[in-house]
Amino acid sequence: MNVHDKSLSKSTAKLLSGNSACAQGAVAAGCKFFAGYPITPSSEIAEKLVTSLPQAGGVFIQMEDEISAMAAVIGASMGGVKAMTATSGPGFSLKQENIGYAAGAEIPCVIVNVMRGGPSTGMPTRPSQADIMQTRFGSHGDYPMIVLAPSSVREIYEETIRAFDLAEICRTPVIVLYDQVIAQSSETVALAPPSGVRAERKWASGPRADYKPYAAGIDGIPAMPRPGDGYRTHTTGLTHGENGFPTQNPEAVERAMSRLYSKLDLHRELIESWEAIRCEDADVVIVAIGISARAAKRAVEICRAKGVHVGLFRPITLWPFPEAALQQACKGARAVLVPELNIGQLRLEVERLLGRHRVEGLHQYSGEPITPAQIAARATTLASEA
Amino acid sequence: MFTDAANFDVRDYLRKEMMPHFLCPGCGHGIALRALLWALHDLAIDKDKLAVVSGIGCAGRLSAYIDANTFHTTHGRPLAYATGLALARPDLHVVVISGDGDCLAIGGNHLIHACRRNLKITCLMLNNEIYGMTGGQVSPTTSESRLTTTTPLGNNEPNFDACALATAAGAGFVGREVTRHVPKLKELIKAGLEHPGFAFVEVLSDCTEVFGRKNDLGSSPEMIMRQKSEIRPSAYRNTVETPFHSTSLPTGILTQNDRPEYGAAHRRAAAAVVAKGAK
Amino acid sequence: MSETSIDAAPAVAPSAAKPPFNVLIVGVGGQGVIMVSKVLAALAQWRGFEVKQSEVHGMAKRGGSVFSHVRFGKRVWSPTIAKGEADVLVALEWAEGLRWLPFLKPDTGIFICDTKRIVPPFACLNRTPGAPMRYSRETADEVASYVAEGYAIDATTMAEELGNERAANVVLLGALSNALDFPVADWETTVADFVPKKTVAVNLEAFRLGRTWVAEARAPAADVPLVHAPVAASYAPRLEINADWCKSCDICVKLCPERCLKLNAERVAELAAPEKCTGCRLCEWLCPDFAIRVHLDPQAGAEGTAR
Repeated sequence: MNVHDKSLSKSTAKLLSGNSACAQGAVAAGCKFFAGYPITPSSEIAEKLVTSLPQAGGVFIQMEDEISAMAAVIGASMGGVKAMTATSGPGFSLKQENIGYAAGAEIPCVIVNVMRGGPSTGMPTRPSQADIMQTRFGSHGDYPMIVLAPSSVREIYEETIRAFDLAEICRTPVIVLYDQVIAQSSETVALAPPSGVRAERKWASGPRADYKPYAAGIDGIPAMPRPGDGYRTHTTGLTHGENGFPTQNPEAVERAMSRLYSKLDLHRELIESWEAIRCEDADVVIVAIGISARAAKRAVEICRAKGVHVGLFRPITLWPFPEAALQQACKGARAVLVPELNIGQLRLEVERLLGRHRVEGLHQYSGEPITPAQIAARATTLASEA
Repeated sequence: MFTDAANFDVRDYLRKEMMPHFLCPGCGHGIALRALLWALHDLAIDKDKLAVVSGIGCAGRLSAYIDANTFHTTHGRPLAYATGLALARPDLHVVVISGDGDCLAIGGNHLIHACRRNLKITCLMLNNEIYGMTGGQVSPTTSESRLTTTTPLGNNEPNFDACALATAAGAGFVGREVTRHVPKLKELIKAGLEHPGFAFVEVLSDCTEVFGRKNDLGSSPEMIMRQKSEIRPSAYRNTVETPFHSTSLPTGILTQNDRPEYGAAHRRAAAAVVAKGAK
Repeated sequence: MSETSIDAAPAVAPSAAKPPFNVLIVGVGGQGVIMVSKVLAALAQWRGFEVKQSEVHGMAKRGGSVFSHVRFGKRVWSPTIAKGEADVLVALEWAEGLRWLPFLKPDTGIFICDTKRIVPPFACLNRTPGAPMRYSRETADEVASYVAEGYAIDATTMAEELGNERAANVVLLGALSNALDFPVADWETTVADFVPKKTVAVNLEAFRLGRTWVAEARAPAADVPLVHAPVAASYAPRLEINADWCKSCDICVKLCPERCLKLNAERVAELAAPEKCTGCRLCEWLCPDFAIRVHLDPQAGAEGTAR
């Protein structure tokens, strides 16, 4: 799936921050429950939703801590409503156990993580991109995960809506990942009303006797029982069989784990999203997300103006990584540059996928975003060396 | 009371295919589960509209045996899950089953805030003074000097009086009973289920296999008999000056007030927000 | 009637003055004994008699024994009624009525008693439902033979049917009114004065019901129809033990009050002495494994069976 720029209509354009766009996206997606805990730089999402969610018939609650906020979101979703929480680095770490629960018990929900400097309390007001691996592997055990990484205010809006849709379709937690810079900077945007009908959960129907809460059809996604509909099922974080009850039977465990882990592969077409700019003839392809991708976009222009053939590959779906698209985009490239605000996380994945390519990182963890000039200079050097 | 008993068959509320349950012989949690199911029966609560949320540990496992919408969540967090569930689905009866470690140690923060918020949830804390499933470690309610695998020389930490804690945190309903008095325990749980706000019910349960064995407290029948010496009439309840009596605890309804229920108050506040936005 | 009624205007000399009329009202705390005696005392005083009333009450602690002596006449000295001196004994509870029978005048005393049975916990010696209790076992017929004139009224049920169980005492007051020739209107005015305003209507109805009931019972004169207290049905306890669920914890065996269970060779609970089983359900309640279900099969006089 490719994303094309949409022209702004002056009549509907508004000056909006990334966090506000996220809140608006949640309401547009049909979110009916938000539980959160104050943390910089994501608090504005809660501050917007406290008003807009009740207006849309939803519930807002500020919980006693990050853990309970995540737990309440899962609880609400188990009750049958679309639910979301928003946090940042330290809070995201605290939520991990329950994110794993949502993944294992297959409870749809959306978690927004606005990245800030780390480790630990780090730099609460400075941008970072150091949670790339944590979003994928943060909780213990093997589990699938969808992570969307928007890089503009409008894209935050669109990807938040898409996050809800994917969560409901795939019965899984979905993380919306962006950094402090786009979260708190405002842009003039025209938020397009979401096209089409929003995705709804596949609910259990039919006779109770035949129903198994974790038995899936060819789409790999089991229909979910809604409390009150008469199915009276059991939901557990223990490894469970198709009937929902804990099991340690090796065959049953293997079958359940295989389906859980591979269910997203059946929906990759729907899940994957990326943007490839001028990669066809590029000697150097830059791979970047979020604020670094925006600097990289400018760097491509700078390089091209000087006659240096540079392209940009920007994964919007960060996990599962759009592997084939990246390999296709980098087919003709002699080197790949990965600028990111960490000591090297996205680069690991790119290296894994492009084993034969020269992959270089441009890592900055000073709390300052990488500038287009930095990227252009490095890309130009790489192009001349390769 | 006795005609009720004839009409109540616990098997009507059990997932019979899951039985026998996994608890050790003589475990008090089974008796507590009966009392809960009996109370639900007495109140004619629709199983389809009943949501039981439990945490981790021996008590956490009980939800799997109840024929209802059951959620076995993460360690210490059942009250937080239940908060989301009860707010999103005010039409459900939400019951939480938790243990002493689950509710007071890892989940202590959620307990005090659930008490403070006063959302309509009935929380059953089964207190057996031990982490049974992990092999018998000291818990926040283990009496002083008791032997556990992590207090080989005897527990030297003071223990919580969970009911005093819940009361201080603002719970609308707080009560305690022993498993020995099943009809009384049933009536207490019933009163908790009927309370319009947050209800905290502490059940003094026995862990024979781990706690009892470690502390030489005898067989299951002997431990049940021992409960007699551990309770006293609520008229002599704990005072502010002497809040913690580890070996003699008051039973019955200890606190009941009519603080506003959070869910209803929350919906009213939300309606006000909507009204303000409409202007 | 004539020998037990009093002369409202005594015309005889003081030396030969009629002794005071004695009414003893008894019952259990909370039933309204004191209210009955207050109505009677107020009415008698209003009719121009000297009245003395003496009571022992534990109203604050409901469930205790309560009695009240009401004496009235031209001149009354002692506030209490001696044994064998009560003209009327009004009992709001069956066993309490029997307890005070010796206070009735042997030849002329009238006994008016509610058949309501309030069994104190210590009277339950055996847990078998329907088993005899240490509570009055006399039938109403037997009691009738002890007294000169007796009425066993199911006043509580009558009041219940009127919609207020608490009006049972006024039903008995209505019955009592037959023994005294005070005008009905005075009775009703006094009753209305003493009951809560909201319940005046139901209490007046209760009064009339009690009054009519005794009047009708008196009509055939010879054979007084008596209402009998219901006899509790008999049950045979039966234990259903699920061997697959039993974990041999021994709780039922050791905590059975009758010690009628044991663990069998497979260490599964078993009813070893079915004849001793009272069906008290303690084993069912305390079984952590839900392995015991107690059934009480309705059965007239059958012994306990087990399977």
